[in-house]
Amino acid sequence: MKILVVEDNERVARFVTKGLKEAGHTTDHAENGRDGLFLAASERYDVIVMDRMLPGNIDGLAIIDALRKAGNHTPILILSALSDVDERIKGLRAGGDDYLTKPFAFGELLARLDALSRRGRQDAAETTLEVGDLRMDLLSRRVCRGARTIQLQPREFKLLEYLMRHAGQVVTRTMLLENVWDYHFDPQTNVVDVHISKLRQKIDAAAEQPLLKTVRCAGYMISADPALAPAAER
Amino acid sequence: MTRVIRSSAVTLAIGYVLLGIAALVLFAAPLRYAWQATVEDFRIELLEEDSQRLAEVFRLRGPQGLADFIKERVGMQIAGERILLLTDPSGRVLAGNVPSWPRGIPARPGTYTLPVDLDGRRSMASIDRTVLPGGYNLLVGRNVERFAPLERRFWFGLGAALAVILAAGLLGAILIRRALLARIQSIQQTVAAIVRGDLSHRLAVRSSGDELDTLSQTINRLLEQIEQLVHGVANVSNSIAHDLRTPLAELRSRLEELSLTRPPAEEAFAEIDAAVADVDGVIRIFDALLRLAEIDAGMRRSGFVEVDIADLAAKAVEFYLPAAELQNLSTSFRDQGPVLVRGDRVLLAQAINNLIDNALKYVASGGHITVEVTRRADGSVAVIVADDGPGIPDAEKPKATQRFFRGDASRGTPGVGLGLSLVEAVCKLHGGALELADNHPGLRAQMIIQPAAAAARESAGERERQIARAAAAAG
Repeated sequence: MKILVVEDNERVARFVTKGLKEAGHTTDHAENGRDGLFLAASERYDVIVMDRMLPGNIDGLAIIDALRKAGNHTPILILSALSDVDERIKGLRAGGDDYLTKPFAFGELLARLDALSRRGRQDAAETTLEVGDLRMDLLSRRVCRGARTIQLQPREFKLLEYLMRHAGQVVTRTMLLENVWDYHFDPQTNVVDVHISKLRQKIDAAAEQPLLKTVRCAGYMISADPALAPAAER
Repeated sequence: MTRVIRSSAVTLAIGYVLLGIAALVLFAAPLRYAWQATVEDFRIELLEEDSQRLAEVFRLRGPQGLADFIKERVGMQIAGERILLLTDPSGRVLAGNVPSWPRGIPARPGTYTLPVDLDGRRSMASIDRTVLPGGYNLLVGRNVERFAPLERRFWFGLGAALAVILAAGLLGAILIRRALLARIQSIQQTVAAIVRGDLSHRLAVRSSGDELDTLSQTINRLLEQIEQLVHGVANVSNSIAHDLRTPLAELRSRLEELSLTRPPAEEAFAEIDAAVADVDGVIRIFDALLRLAEIDAGMRRSGFVEVDIADLAAKAVEFYLPAAELQNLSTSFRDQGPVLVRGDRVLLAQAINNLIDNALKYVASGGHITVEVTRRADGSVAVIVADDGPGIPDAEKPKATQRFFRGDASRGTPGVGLGLSLVEAVCKLHGGALELADNHPGLRAQMIIQPAAAAARESAGERERQIARAAAAAG
């Protein structure tokens, strides 16, 4: 992936670009709004990381606004030290696609960038999701693993659907809270882990190849490829 | 300030006086008109009829005949009231009860009401003057002097009423001004004391419940909020000093030790991971404090929407269900269908989740947690989270919602002591309160929230309608 990082804090920028490079992405870095707008408008990126507050006259939201008005729909993740729900809504309304509050864990950023970059490619009219021999029929709301039918509660179905839509990607606990439960706050518990382990008991029977993996320090991933995510462990 | 009050009281008084005068005029004018229309017009009509009859007599019997007729009539009636006079063209009196032609009668024939000299006395009379053929003059009149007192009394009464209204207005202005001044001065003094820095002062509220009392009550509520905010700021700074130092000290010593001892790589990385976890803990406290400050400042009220709080509670129970099962706890949820409140969805959800999370932390294996959403008799909405855990001792209950307070039972459990503070702040933001009671055994935490009045009115049930009425009457 080609990623533009617009961030004025040198240390944060270095931390982000270095991490992204290690994850196999190419990055460009702009340290002020003017350069950021210039790069974003002249190059093609898969996703943009935009700091909310930037030196100079142009702040992050103004850049996003300008890009969107110019017809540029590159997915943008807003980084901000402003944590209010209102600020988040403001950022998303300005045309941002996701909002991450500083300070953040790198795993969270990476997972969200992955999710953003693939969002555009998804086929909206999908009626079935498949990971290995796990099949989810979105219309009849049936889930089977091979020949075995799996009974799921509505919320478990939603959780599995989100994981399967992001198959092969790391999904963090926060992303699950926001997208499955619509909780935009930190419940300060490990309840998500409990939900995941319950789901895992249902979809990964003892003799089967495990699909739902825990990614250390980051979150979860559903994937049929045993080589994916070396950090993943059962 | 004083001048404004004086002028406002005087303006009020002048307004009332003018209103009084207008009412009086509106009352008197029709009376006066009715008098005119009935009594005087009728009198004039009588006079005209009289003189026509006399003119008829003159036409039939001539001057001497009319003079005789008049003499006969004068002889029959009480003098002084009726005026009859016939003169020849030279002005000589032929007959009548008036010795000479009174002065002041206009030369033209017609009916007049005017003062005339009768028997040397000047008195009011209604007079009809007719010129008969041959230049004879006929005067038919009626002395109306006896009606004069009535008219005088009418005008006197009107004047007296005016004077009373003026005096009452003046007195009212003085009294209003004095009462207003006294109370405003007391308000001013209290506010001045508050400005000097003593936030505990409150305005005196009398039981009368008038406008100034309502104002005083509103100001008192304002003062209460200011006092709470100021104390909140002080509390938060104290708490930060106290409770943020601990994890920071831990972090610092961890890093310093790492730098001093330079352990092997594996061990060093484990320490670094632990340090990152320390920082995450500090960030969590910061986030919770910021959230609390945000709620306290009431900033979020602008974003209130209609929220089904029963749905939020049901979702929260569902969210914690697997965790509860894992701890071998049973949960139950009771509601009475959708309950709409005006509020902040994120904060309400967080508060309910905090209460359930709290219960999960303290209830021992085999215990039970009940979540209930009900409408109370006074129209407010209660979200009740009850457990059969250790509960909170009565002595600690008031302190339980203080920031960073951790009861004896909470030692050794995760958390920083901000959970209940947040729930209480959210309740207050929604016009309610957090009540902690005994569940015999255990804790019964009740979030009281004001309902969405409009939503309650729209719902069809009679019970809801009663609640809405009660809420409207109460608020």
